Amino acid sequence: MKPVYLCGRGLACALGLNLGQSLAALRQGDVTTGSRFLHGAMGGHFPYQSIPFQMNDWNERACELVQRVASEAGAQNAKHGALFIATSSFDIGAVEQGIAQINYDTFANKVAAWLEWTGPVYVISTACTSSLNALIAAHALLGTGEADEAVVLGFELDNKLTLGGFAAMQLLSSSSSKPFATHRDGIVLGEAVTCLRLSTSERSDWKILGGANVVDGSQPTGASVSAIVSMYQRALATSGLTADNIDLIKVQAAGSPGNDAIEAQGLRAAFGKLPMLVSLKAAIGHTMGASGAAEIALLSTCLEQGAWPRYADHADETLGVELIPQMPESVRHIMATILGFGGSHATVVLEHA
Amino acid sequence: MSTFAISGRCIAAPPPPDWCARLALLLGAKPRRIGTWAELGLYGALHCMADAGESTLPQDAILMLASRRGTYAATGLVLEQLREDLPMPLAFLQTQPGQLLALLAAQMQWSGHACFFASTAHHALLRLAAAQSGSGGVLLGWVDEMEGGSTNWLRLRLDAAAGINFVPATSDLEIFSPAVSHIAIDATHLQVAYATK
Repeated sequence: MKPVYLCGRGLACALGLNLGQSLAALRQGDVTTGSRFLHGAMGGHFPYQSIPFQMNDWNERACELVQRVASEAGAQNAKHGALFIATSSFDIGAVEQGIAQINYDTFANKVAAWLEWTGPVYVISTACTSSLNALIAAHALLGTGEADEAVVLGFELDNKLTLGGFAAMQLLSSSSSKPFATHRDGIVLGEAVTCLRLSTSERSDWKILGGANVVDGSQPTGASVSAIVSMYQRALATSGLTADNIDLIKVQAAGSPGNDAIEAQGLRAAFGKLPMLVSLKAAIGHTMGASGAAEIALLSTCLEQGAWPRYADHADETLGVELIPQMPESVRHIMATILGFGGSHATVVLEHA
Repeated sequence: MSTFAISGRCIAAPPPPDWCARLALLLGAKPRRIGTWAELGLYGALHCMADAGESTLPQDAILMLASRRGTYAATGLVLEQLREDLPMPLAFLQTQPGQLLALLAAQMQWSGHACFFASTAHHALLRLAAAQSGSGGVLLGWVDEMEGGSTNWLRLRLDAAAGINFVPATSDLEIFSPAVSHIAIDATHLQVAYATK
């Protein structure tokens, strides 16, 4: 396998329209949670973390955000490579506005046209793990020499379908995301558009070593301990590492009462001595299909430039795991994990030079 | 150039009129509230596995599923429900194409790498399958609900294919021909080999 490097990053999320703004907001603890309203007897106001950039036309807004993050990541240098669009909701917001129809090829062509893309285009949709699966696929394509450049575009924008679905399943918090915390009461959905540019011909300080995705059908709406353990074991094997090589894990920890507990159990089972743990959900919300790539973009920038998320709530000691309150002094190997809907469990291993 | 041997297939475009009854026979019961698209996927995938003589996938196999419009019918229904109130939870689950991956994994009592692709690009998907699959091969399917439905599946294993005579495929859809025994793929070309009598 050829070594695959993470050579460019772009992110628009609730913290800001680029990584610079996002880091500044994170340092200042400037994390704001807005809300969205849904009609009906079961409806109401639900917390939501939007990108601070408003336009009425869904397509125009999406195009602007995609072009911004692609430019930030230097994606123009990779237009002949493979484009992996990762999303759980496609352009359903445009469908809700009556300006698009549900057709995946049309959606892929639309996004590719925004980027003037000339290479092959893949659209991956595995709910919350979409962009980690896109990263795993891109890593395989580049590592085997099938391509030398690839871009992963994580894409999750405002729509009623996702928010309404999660509200219907009573998975949403009433206030804010509290990862691994005593008073956690559900997840907070958020928006993100993010771009990761990968290359085998250009080097960077971040190398992608491998990853694993394990789909387990036993828990269709949540995680399972055995699948979490299997995911970490497979990811370590593909990366040529052992558990004690891992310094830091960016966990899923979205603040769900049940899933956070299962994740904690899985972590304890997979690692004899737990690596340091970090969660970014309280800062940007759960950005669904974009979350894996968005959190890698944010975390890797945090580690380079010195910023760290704050956790306002008391840790739930019964979980037997805890998030580290300050940035570690040095980190070489990190894992970035998303546990998703549809029984999908994914993690990617990165090495920092 | 990567080459795959086809060890099983289900080509059903459209599926037979009694496909729902046949699926219930395969599952041992009528599936409940998973949606027509997921039912079509289960029908094709399980027939393909039976054709390959397998009841489950090896641990290192991968499952790849693709579609042109996926769960559009279920999604349309939920959008209608949202005009009045929150959707029904199971109706929302039916909008998530990844649910079919979990259903298949559960049915085969298997867990492993599975992924949904919103695409009909056969060549691109086969290239990725070649890059990602190990010795356990790949179960690869294209499922759509429009125009009477279609559920086309191939069970593929990487194969050296020594001495096999490949010819350029006249179209991507030639991979579904019942007489094709092998597929060869590189960055620009798709080739097929026909079974010798």
